Order: sequence, then C-alpha cells, then structure tokens
Amino acid sequence: MDYLLRIRDLKVNFEINNRVINAIESVNLGIGQNEVVVLGGESGSGKTITALAVTKILPPTAKIISGEVIFLGQDLLKLDEDSLRMIRGAKVAYIFQEPTSFLNPVYTVGNQIMEAIMLRQHKTRKQAQELAIELLYSVKIKEPERVLLDYPHQLSGGMNQRVFLAMALACQPKLLIADEPTTSLDVTIEAGILRLLLDLKEKIGFSLLFITHNLSIAKRIADRICIMYKGKIVEEGSKDMIFNHPQHFHTKELIQAYEKIGRI
Amino acid sequence: MGIIPLLLGITVISFIIIHLAPGKPTSLQQALNPKVSQEVRLRLEKLYGLDKPLRIQYINWLHKLVKFDFGRSFGDDRPVVDKILERIPVTLTVNILSLLFIIIVAIPLGVKSAVKPNHAFDKFVTIFVFIGFAVPTFWLALLLMNLFGIKLGWLPISGIKSLDFEYFSLGQKIMDYLRHLILPIFVSSLGGLAGISRYMRSSMIEALGQPYIYTARAKGLTENTIIYKHALRNAILPIVTILGLSIPGLLGGSVIFESIFALPGIGRLFYEAVMMRDYPLIMAEVVLGAVLTMLGNLIADISYAYVDPRIRYRKQA
Amino acid sequence: MNKPLLSGVLIIGIFTLIAILAPLISPYDPSVIDQNNLLMPPSSKHLLGTDSLGRDILSRMIYGARISLSIGLIAVGIATIIGLILGSLAGFYGGWIDTLIMRFVDIMLCFPTFFLILAVVAILEPSIFNIMVIIGLTSWMGITRLVRAEILSLKEREFIQAERAIGASSFRIITGHLIPNAMGPVLVSATLGIAGAILLESALSFLGLGVQPPTPSWGNILIESKSTLGVAWWITVFPGLAILTAILGFNFIAEGLRKILG
Repeated sequence: MDYLLRIRDLKVNFEINNRVINAIESVNLGIGQNEVVVLGGESGSGKTITALAVTKILPPTAKIISGEVIFLGQDLLKLDEDSLRMIRGAKVAYIFQEPTSFLNPVYTVGNQIMEAIMLRQHKTRKQAQELAIELLYSVKIKEPERVLLDYPHQLSGGMNQRVFLAMALACQPKLLIADEPTTSLDVTIEAGILRLLLDLKEKIGFSLLFITHNLSIAKRIADRICIMYKGKIVEEGSKDMIFNHPQHFHTKELIQAYEKIGRI
Repeated sequence: MGIIPLLLGITVISFIIIHLAPGKPTSLQQALNPKVSQEVRLRLEKLYGLDKPLRIQYINWLHKLVKFDFGRSFGDDRPVVDKILERIPVTLTVNILSLLFIIIVAIPLGVKSAVKPNHAFDKFVTIFVFIGFAVPTFWLALLLMNLFGIKLGWLPISGIKSLDFEYFSLGQKIMDYLRHLILPIFVSSLGGLAGISRYMRSSMIEALGQPYIYTARAKGLTENTIIYKHALRNAILPIVTILGLSIPGLLGGSVIFESIFALPGIGRLFYEAVMMRDYPLIMAEVVLGAVLTMLGNLIADISYAYVDPRIRYRKQA
Repeated sequence: MNKPLLSGVLIIGIFTLIAILAPLISPYDPSVIDQNNLLMPPSSKHLLGTDSLGRDILSRMIYGARISLSIGLIAVGIATIIGLILGSLAGFYGGWIDTLIMRFVDIMLCFPTFFLILAVVAILEPSIFNIMVIIGLTSWMGITRLVRAEILSLKEREFIQAERAIGASSFRIITGHLIPNAMGPVLVSATLGIAGAILLESALSFLGLGVQPPTPSWGNILIESKSTLGVAWWITVFPGLAILTAILGFNFIAEGLRKILG
C-alpha cells in the first residue's frame, strides 16, 4: 500500500534526573491516504508519545533514540526545526484530549483560530475572520460570530473540541492526529464529534490517526486498528480481523473491556 | 467588601500604638519648656482632648481623620496634612519609577532564565539574585554614593536639585532631577528586582509546561511566538498582584533611602517626625502607610481580575 | 552533601563563636576612646581601622556580633512563639477564632513594617530589649499564616482522627502532634526571619533609632559612614560585609533546610 505516514522502528526514552525510562521500544505503524487508523491500548502504553513524536513536539524530557517517520517521502526526524515548522499545522495537525486545557485561556477562540490561518495563508485580518466563521460553521457551531469572541473557559468541552477541530483543519492538513479527543466528553457529545470527524474526512479528504483506549469507538470509525502494549505494537489488522480474530492477549482484554460495558 | 473593617482596624491599631506612650504627648513640650506652668499644661491637655477617656479620644480622632484633619505638627504647628502633601510627590516619583525599573528589568530576566532553565544564564542570575537578597540595600547605597558620587563624581548624592537649579532650562531641569534620582531609584528597586525576577522565572516555567503550549507548537508557531505571545501572557498575570504587594516594602525603604540621599519625601518626613517625637505627624504617617498599602493590594486585585479573562468574563451557562 | 546547609552552619558557627568569645578575642575595649588615633586606616595596630573617636573597629564589630545575633535570635523567638500560638489556635479551632485572628493578621500586614517599628521606637525609647520585642511583635504574621496552613492540612489526616478517637485532649493534639509536624516550614521561615531581623536592627541602628552608642552594633558603626564618605572607607566596608555575610549564612541554612524538607 502507498503510505501517507510510515513510522519505522521508533524508539523514545525519557531522561529524568539522570534516570532513563523507556517510553516506546519499537513502533511500526503505517497510515494510508484517507484512511482511519485507530491506535488502541491502555494508558501508559506509549500512544501519546508516538503521536507527539511524529512532528517532534515531545516534552523536553523525552529523547528520540532511533527510528524513522516517513511522511510524504521525507523522514521528519531528520528535518531541522524550521522545516518541521512548515509541516506542523499545515500538513499534520492535532486535536487533544481536553480541548479546554489545550486552548490558551487568555485569548479568544477566534484569535487562536485566526492565528492558525494567518500563519500559513496570506490573508488580512478581516479575511481570516471570515474564514474562521466558515470553519466554525463547518464544525456545526451555531452563532459562530458570537463564539469567535468567546474565551475557552466560557464554552463547553464539546464546543471547545469543535473549535479545536476548526483550528486544526484551518490549513487543510493531510493527516489529523487525534489523541483521545472524546475521552473527557459526554457519550452523547462524543457521538456528535465522531460523526463530525467522519463527515469532514469525506468532504475535505485527510487521513485520521485516532488514539483511544476505548475499542467501541474503533468499531465505529476504524479502517485498520493497531494495538499498542508496553511501548510496542503487538497486533495490527483491519477492523474485522481484529474484532473477529484477535490474536494477542491484550487485544482480547481490550475487546472484553468494552463488551462488559455492554456497548457495541 | 472587607475594606471598611480593615480601615477601622488600621485606625484602631494606630491609635493603640501611639497611646502606648508612658507619658502624655504634652510632657515632651513641657520638658522642652519647663516654664510652662501646670495651668497651661492642663489647658493644652484640654485642647488636645487628652483629659477624656480613651475611647472618646479615639472617636474624636477618627472624626477628624475622616475630614483629613490630622491635627497640627508639634514641630512647627503647621497642619500635618499640608506637610505630608507637599512631600508626597517626591516619594511617589521615586517609587513609581522604581516599580517601572523593576518591571523593565525583572521580567525579561525571569523570562530568559525560564526559557533555558539551569543553563549558564539562569545559573548566573540565580547566584546574582541570591546575593542580592543578602545585601543590605542601605549599605549598598552608601557604597554607591562613595563610588559614583565621590570617587567618580558622576552623580550627585543628596537632594533632588543642584544649587544652580533655578538657572537651568527646562530640559536641563529634567536632567538634573533624573541625575539626582538615579541612585535612589536603583537601590530601592534592588529588593523588588530580585524577588520579581525569581517569581517571573517560576511563573514562566509553569506556563511553558502547560497543555496549550503543545497546541501552539503543533500549530507550527515559532519559538518566539510561543514564548512571548502564548506563555508570557499567562505567566505575567500573577505579577500584577506581586507588584501590589511590594508597596509596603517600597514605603519602608523610602524612610531609609530618603534619609540617606536627603530627598524631601514622606519617608524622610516620617524619620524627622520620629526623631522629634512629633506625635500627630507620626500617627498620620502610620495611618497613611497602612492605607497606601491597602490601596496597593486593592488595585492589584482589581487589575488581576481585569487582566485575567477567566475572572473578567464569568462562565456562561 | 547538603552544601548550602554546611556552608551556612559554618558561617553562622564562626559568628556565634566570635560573639561568645568576644571578651577573649577582642584586641581592645570597644568603647575606649583614643584621641591620638582618630580615623586611622587599617594597620597592624588596628586591623580594621578606627572610627572618629579613635575606637577600634574590629573590637566594635566583635562585640557588635553579640548584639546583632542575640537581637536576631530573640526577636525571631518571640515572633515564632506568637506565630505558633495564634496559628495553631486559628487552624485548629476554625470558626470565629480563625476569622478573628486572620483579620488581625490582615490588618497588621497593612502596615509597612518599618513604619510600625519606627512609630513604636518613637514612643518607647530605643534600647536593646525594646528593639528585640518590637521586631518580634511586628514579624509574627507570616509564621501565623504558615502554621495555620500546615495545621489545616494536617488536621484531616488519619493519625489525628485516631488521636481524637481515643479521647486525647485538644491541647495534647496541638502540642504533641500538630505543631511538631508543622515545624519544618516554620524552621525555614524562622531562619530567614533571623536574617531579616538582623537587617532590620542594622537599619534601625544606622538611623540612630536602634542600638545606641557607645554599645556597638554593626548598624551603628555605619552611622559615621555618611559623614566620612570618601575619607574613611573602612568604616563603611567592614560592618556592611559582616551584615551581608551573616544574612548569607542564614539564607544558606534556610536553603539547606528546604532541601531536607523536600
């Protein structure tokens, strides 16, 4: 398959106070064009670190030891900061777990969306504002003109996640990495966000790397699923394969976990 | 709000302190002028209301306070209010300029230290601050006066204007003021400088570790934008409050520095009043000091509420 | 290897030794006036020079160590005792006692410390005893808040509930358990407080409102500094260095204590 993103043998360590802890031992992962890949696994398995490593926005204590991240023909890990900055936001975008915390509390959401727009596109403030309003419409926010002037703490978690999505898609990235975006949201809100993601993916066209520990979501949206356990990918396959013929014990654990809650 | 009880409390404490005196305030005048007879002394006491019970004295004093009548100075019998008012401008100028100096220097210092923590610059500043905290600032003032005033002769060391001030042009007059104020402003800012750069550093480090910084980086913003637009705007919020809290320190410092540099401000006025046991003036200054501190805290709180959108705009339903 | 603690204890240890052994190591009587040796620079006869009355600076500084250190210690002792009592009462009993005490603290904190001290000195003539008491009476607010905060957080812990369950008296709980556990931060604060008290006393003495000459204090040796600017650098430099070193020493100890407490 022709991969959009190919992670090969990625290894990342934490170095804290002269102690070295292994975060990811060896990750191999691929995402195709317009594909939805769910990266599943329990907390602490290294999913978030994998996601952050793609554009090298790791915490300062994390060090990439070895591996490759091939995106559109380039190894991102070998690029310098300036080149990486061209990729971030423009070709690869992120949405995170708690949108309200991940938005800057002292600027309006409009300001933050327009910042993303004006960074890449030559637009005046007025044009950027109009584009921001359009983006907010596209994520199904009513009254975008008013929301533009709100601060993150004035909006609900669900609204903020839509805002975040608008901000992430502002420059039409090829790959959207979503790290547990619905984990802190209500079940009903979650359904809306998931539907929105799939709709936008159809309309605009991007690949989605969706990280979660909740496999019921994978059942709803995934094309392929990768299961991560203790810093390694332990199983990988299409949605049907994983759910009907799980091989690794951890995969079975994860499937059973959501079956117990009685969700399909 | 809690201001009224605070104000009342301030007046009560001030009143109690002044009346700790073993003798009556008039005994000094009597000691200075033994010819004052018993009869005259009794009349004076009646005039000052000293023959009434303490709580009545307090109410009377409070009554006058509210009308800004602080009585007359024992020294030259002029209204205390006038003496204070004519000296306030100098103290205000020095302290406001000190605050500005602190802001201009301490904030960048703190930010630079935070961006590369534990590297050379940060270590250097940390040592500098540690020593700065330990140096007695009045001693430093003396040393600097010695160096810049006498040995090098660059700066004047006393007063706020030179002898031939009257003959200066406007531009020269301003320069003259500034030259006289450089040393006092510098030494009185040092304490605040050390403290605030420290605080700015930890505030910045905390801000830089927040989730929204990851978002900013993920958007592809430059390092400078992340530091100055995203982190700094958050880190600087508590500084507003801290600045307000440094007012009592500055006021206390002005007593020393105005005395050392012979500046005609309310700090030096207070010192003179203490030396002369000028009780009305002392009482007025104590109350004034407390009220200014309280105002400073109030302004700091209000500014913080204004500057932090999370407080300024309450969450909507 | 707690470097700060070690350096601090070393410095303060030396000063304490000097203070205790003053009569033995002081080359001259600090109050003796020598008309023939006014304002002499440092020499083999007077290691740190003499002041305008011919008194040996080194001797005055040695005895000054006694004064400054004891004032610092006792002033902070007073402040700490007041702080412990008020802080525990406020933290333990809560309710109106807490509100009353904390309001009192708020009011007292409105006064610039120096203004308060000067005002009281104006009324109660400066003497070593008065200065100790005054500084103590104006420095207890921080410790009160600290103790109260510690006790509030300790109050809910299991071992306190256990003590209550077996019927231990409030007094015993406060003195036997709560205060000892809160002592860590209090000690750090007190150490820094001693440095602050020494600084306050020297500033007061420098202004002529502290330790009165002929009794020597590092601060009042500096009184002549203004009038001898540019002429007698030794009167300015040495006492200031002593104050600086003492404060550094206590700051180091406080840093070291903080490291231990984590």
